[in-house]
This record gives sequence, C-alpha cells and structure tokens, in this order.
Amino acid sequence: MGTIVTIDVYAAAEVTGSGLDVLHGQLGRAQAVLHHADEVFSTWRPDSPVSRLRRGEISLAQAPAEVAEVLEACAAARELSHGWFDPWAMPGGVDPTGYVKGWAAQQALVAFSDAAFSDAAFSGAAVSGAIVNAAGDIASFGGLGNAQPFRVGIADPAAPRRLAAIIELTGAIATSGTYERGNHLIDPHSGQATSGAASASVTGPDLGLADALATALAVAGQPGLALIEALDGYEALVIGFDGGKRWTKGFPLVELSRI
Amino acid sequence: MKRTPIVLGGTLAGLIGVLLFRTTPSHTSFTTLPGAASVSGTATTPASAASAAPAKKASSKKTSSKKTSGKQAAGATPTATASGNLASSTRSATGPEVNYNWGVLSVKVTVSGKKITNVAIAMLDDGGNPRSQMIDQQSIPILEQETMQAQSASIQSVSGASYTSAGFVQSLQSALQTLGV
Repeated sequence: MGTIVTIDVYAAAEVTGSGLDVLHGQLGRAQAVLHHADEVFSTWRPDSPVSRLRRGEISLAQAPAEVAEVLEACAAARELSHGWFDPWAMPGGVDPTGYVKGWAAQQALVAFSDAAFSDAAFSGAAVSGAIVNAAGDIASFGGLGNAQPFRVGIADPAAPRRLAAIIELTGAIATSGTYERGNHLIDPHSGQATSGAASASVTGPDLGLADALATALAVAGQPGLALIEALDGYEALVIGFDGGKRWTKGFPLVELSRI
Repeated sequence: MKRTPIVLGGTLAGLIGVLLFRTTPSHTSFTTLPGAASVSGTATTPASAASAAPAKKASSKKTSSKKTSGKQAAGATPTATASGNLASSTRSATGPEVNYNWGVLSVKVTVSGKKITNVAIAMLDDGGNPRSQMIDQQSIPILEQETMQAQSASIQSVSGASYTSAGFVQSLQSALQTLGV
C-alpha cells in the first residue's frame, strides 16, 4: 500500500532507560502488525492472499484467518452504511481496502498499548496516550500528559495543506475524500466513480469501522449523515464541494478554522 | 514548552524511529516506512536533563553513535547559525543530513523565541529516482506545512491528506535541539 504510519506516544514524564527499551519493543510489535497487514491485504502485491482471493486462486478458507475476520467486519459495515460501503461492488473483485487501512492502524495501536501497559518496566513511564496516524486515518487512546485531550485537525479538501476544522479526539477519526489521490471512490449502487462530498470524516471507538463509514459518507454526501446519527458512538462531519460543512449533533468539534 | 529531543534509530528492517520527548507532556514520535531495507540510525541523547536551561541544552548535549551508517554519520552534527538570547531572538539551525527511505535530506528551521517561524529543506538528494522524486514532491511541502500548522493550531495530528517522514522529523528535531527549543 505504501502508506506511511506514524505512532506518537505521550507521557507525563520523560521516558528513560529500561522504559525506553520497552517502548521500542512495543513499537516493533506495532510495526510488525502493519507489515503483516500489508502482506496479507495489499491489492498491489499480486502474490498477497487477498490478490489471490480476488483472482479466485484460493478460497476464503485457504486464506489467513484475519481475511475472513476483516470480510465479516466489512459485511457489517455494508449493512450499517445501507450499502454505501460495499467491498463486493468494487471492480476486479472484493476489495476491503476501505476498511483495512483503519483496521490495521487500530490493530497496531492495540499491539502497542496492550503490552506497554502490562510491562512493569514501562509502568513508571506513565504513558498518558498514543496516536497512530495511518496516512490521515487516526487511532488513539488517552490524551496529553497534562490530562488534556488530544486535538486533531481535519485537512481542508479545497486546500489539503490547510485545516478545515479542529476536533477533540476520543478514539478514532477517519477522513475520506476525492482530493487526496484523485477520484478513487466507487458508487456501489452504480459501479461508477463518484463522490457526494469533497470530504467526509467519521469519529468513533474503532478506526476500521470509522474508515469504512467515512468512505461510505464521501460517496453518499450530506444525506448520509442520518445513517451516522443513528449509530451509537459514531459521529461525522461532511464538507461539500462548495466548502459547506454539516455534522452530526455529537461531533466533537472544537472550531471550524481557516488556518 | 520545553523539549528534550532524543533521536533514536533502530536497526530493524524497514524501520526508522524518531523519538522526541517533551517534559510536559512527554512525547514520542515513531515513524515506520514500509518496504524499506535495513536501516541504521544514530542515537543522540542530551547529556543534561530536561531541567537544564535552553541555552545550556544547546551547548552541553552529547552525541553518541550507537550504530551509524553512510551520510547520516557524516552529517550527525547540527550546525547553529545564531546564538545569543535564546528566549527572544530569531535564529536558524540546519539539522543533520539524514538517510530516509528515498535518499538523504536535511531540514533548516528558523525560530523566534520558542516559535517556529519557518521550516524548509536545506538539502535533498534522492538520487534522481523518479519514484523518489514523486514522493518527495508530494510529501515535502505537506511536511513543511504540517510543522507550521501543528504549532499554530495546537494540534497533535491531522486527519485527511497527511504524510510524514521520519527523516524530515529527525533532522528538524536535531535543528530544534541545537536552538534549545
């Protein structure tokens, strides 16, 4: 996939000595999760299990177990999004990419945090939170070392080097749109390249589902906000091609900005 | 905000680690770039603790190389171009030349007091490889902008079109360390 992933770790005090060694060990685990996800799910690698599945060379039962797990989650996301997210409607066969990037980043966060918190050598480091950013899709736990929540900017789709909004982050946020890599969104209902919004951001506890819902919302546009409103724990912001912004009632907006 | 940067590289395949600590809050940044071959890094640790005055930090830090390779070792000493009253003056520093996945780069940063006023690429050698050039053209303007943006908006991250590069951050942090920011 060639995606760049950054992991930021926050602590109330400086991490030194053995705590630093443990931290590096945990970061290594998170990295291994990401590389494994790339090997299994990349549609760019012709020999990856997902590529072979798409070509019908192997069955789902012959693929690694996490492929079935991801496709099951994709099916759930398809239902929750009323078909606006549909990996089975993609040209060239089933393509879970819209879910996998967020899922892999969430898995990396879990791999990092689980052992980090259970390790005695690390407990003295008082880690207050961590952010995994997979090319703009973010999974997190906790907050800043001074007990303040994380604040995250949302890129302006009209000028991706500027911010359109700032939110307080609890858990995950995914942003999907057409500005980043050209128009790569497919309307599952028609099979045609399309988009209903310049950008759509979804927050919630799980980055995999947030990623899938953001993809769905970027295709569905502002009318899709009602779908998110109905989901517990998930909120959304949609930015139209005219720059107009609409969001669900619980969206953790701090400010709309023109930075 | 006081900041004690520790730049640490690993020797794991495909890994460039950049650790950056702030006393309040402590902060560790780690970037992983998939698809890289084995990468060696340098470890730069301040000899003085975070409680040292900024002016002291810049002059008393010690560079120790655990594992170094190529141009990274050669460029491991940041150069400051200004000194004096670090609390208020405008000054610049150029970070070391750092190996990243697609070549070698260094970052020049200008600060006024504790605020970054400009950040730019001082040196970039991507070997003329078309893929490297494409990635650099996409990512470097964004990295420069993100640095400014993150500071001005007090945010920890950006959702959407966001790219990061360990080499960029590593060189930037060394330059900031030189300036005691």
